Amino acid sequence: MDDDEAIARSLAGDLDAYEALVARYSAVAHRTARLLGAGDEAEDVVQEAFVKAFRHLAAFRRESAFKPWLLRIVANETHNLTRARGRRADLGARLGLEREPYGPEGQEEPEEIAVAADGRARLLDAVRRLPDREREAVVCRYFLQLSEAETAEVLGVRLGTVKSRTFRGLRRLREEVSDELLA
Amino acid sequence: MSSSPDGHDGHDRHGRSDRRDDRFEDLAGELVALGESLNESLRDQAPPPSAVARAVRARIERERAEADGRAPASGRRRPPFWRRRLTISRRRLAVALAVVLAVLLGATPQGRAAVTSVLRFAGVEIHVGGPGPLPTGLPSPLPGERRVTLGEAREAARFPVAVPSALGEPRDVRIADGARVVTLLWPGIRLDEYDGTLTVVFHKELGPPWPDEVPEVGGWWIRQPHALSYVPASGGEARDERVAGPTLIWQRGMVGLRLEGPDLPEALRIARSAH
Repeated sequence: MDDDEAIARSLAGDLDAYEALVARYSAVAHRTARLLGAGDEAEDVVQEAFVKAFRHLAAFRRESAFKPWLLRIVANETHNLTRARGRRADLGARLGLEREPYGPEGQEEPEEIAVAADGRARLLDAVRRLPDREREAVVCRYFLQLSEAETAEVLGVRLGTVKSRTFRGLRRLREEVSDELLA
Repeated sequence: MSSSPDGHDGHDRHGRSDRRDDRFEDLAGELVALGESLNESLRDQAPPPSAVARAVRARIERERAEADGRAPASGRRRPPFWRRRLTISRRRLAVALAVVLAVLLGATPQGRAAVTSVLRFAGVEIHVGGPGPLPTGLPSPLPGERRVTLGEAREAARFPVAVPSALGEPRDVRIADGARVVTLLWPGIRLDEYDGTLTVVFHKELGPPWPDEVPEVGGWWIRQPHALSYVPASGGEARDERVAGPTLIWQRGMVGLRLEGPDLPEALRIARSAH
């Protein structure tokens, strides 16, 4: 069952079909929420996004792709969440890399282990420090590996805006991370 | 539309390529590699897709049931099995009858980054997730609270006042806030009755655990001491809070009831006898 068929059946009230669609996009939705700053609440954001997507499924344009449409809802939910927190969350949390409840105290975070070896930690740190808009563009383009058009849809901005924010973000990263790190 | 990252184009629309863009290609490659290592760890943190799918389906089914007006009186919004915290919904559900259980985002008063789950039921809004109450706060009268006879209370209240036969005649009866709340008192037991269908009358703050659902009376049991404050009919801020003991909350028709004092078995016996 492809997306289009699953959506058609969901619109007809077939919840089995929608369940299949949710299962299919659950991982990328979760990843998006985490990387855009939902932190620990990513699971809740994702659930809420899928429920909202179901409610608004009739407004989905069938000729377009489901993933960026869904991820836009996830991104909006994440924005609402960070606004509701009433703070500009620290960038670690914004990237969803805050301390996790599992593992003994003081143990290195798994993502830190993964990135520490080759100096990527500094790059990650630089991404964390980017201004929100540039970071979101960089996260969508490179961490989530979305195209520019998909990124535009997810972030609700024009294609040119994605290009310029990505460019500014990369320029800033380049300034902050020395060449030898990336060699 | 390619979905693979190509970094910065490297070439603009005039076919030029400059060194700055070449450098960005390296950077883009590094970012993609970094993203993939992040994804690996994020994958471990995500709940299983099938669990997400089931939880989402359950919520949709509940919404449908509500829309059809055949909602069960209890059992909604149970937490997904892989976590204790309830799901978050920013959509306040229409409160027509019976149970409304909306779980919202919130922040602790100190602005810490924490989720407060909100349970709304029978005119009581319960915030779970904070540190729980400070051990202060003495019972203070509700606005306009005065002592009346049971007959006067029944006359003044806009809702039927139930008296649990298990307790007999109350020792003391009070009405408050324009008879919006009727309070019946026995030694060590307090029963507040109020129009609990449309607005929030009481506000409770508590730390975990989440209240226990009590299907016997279609209500909730808060086992731990918690901060209780009254939300006046005139609106505005909730009044000074006090610390309330274990409380059973349930609903009888349009009337919300909160019973404070007895333990759960006794509270249930009393609740069942309230007619």
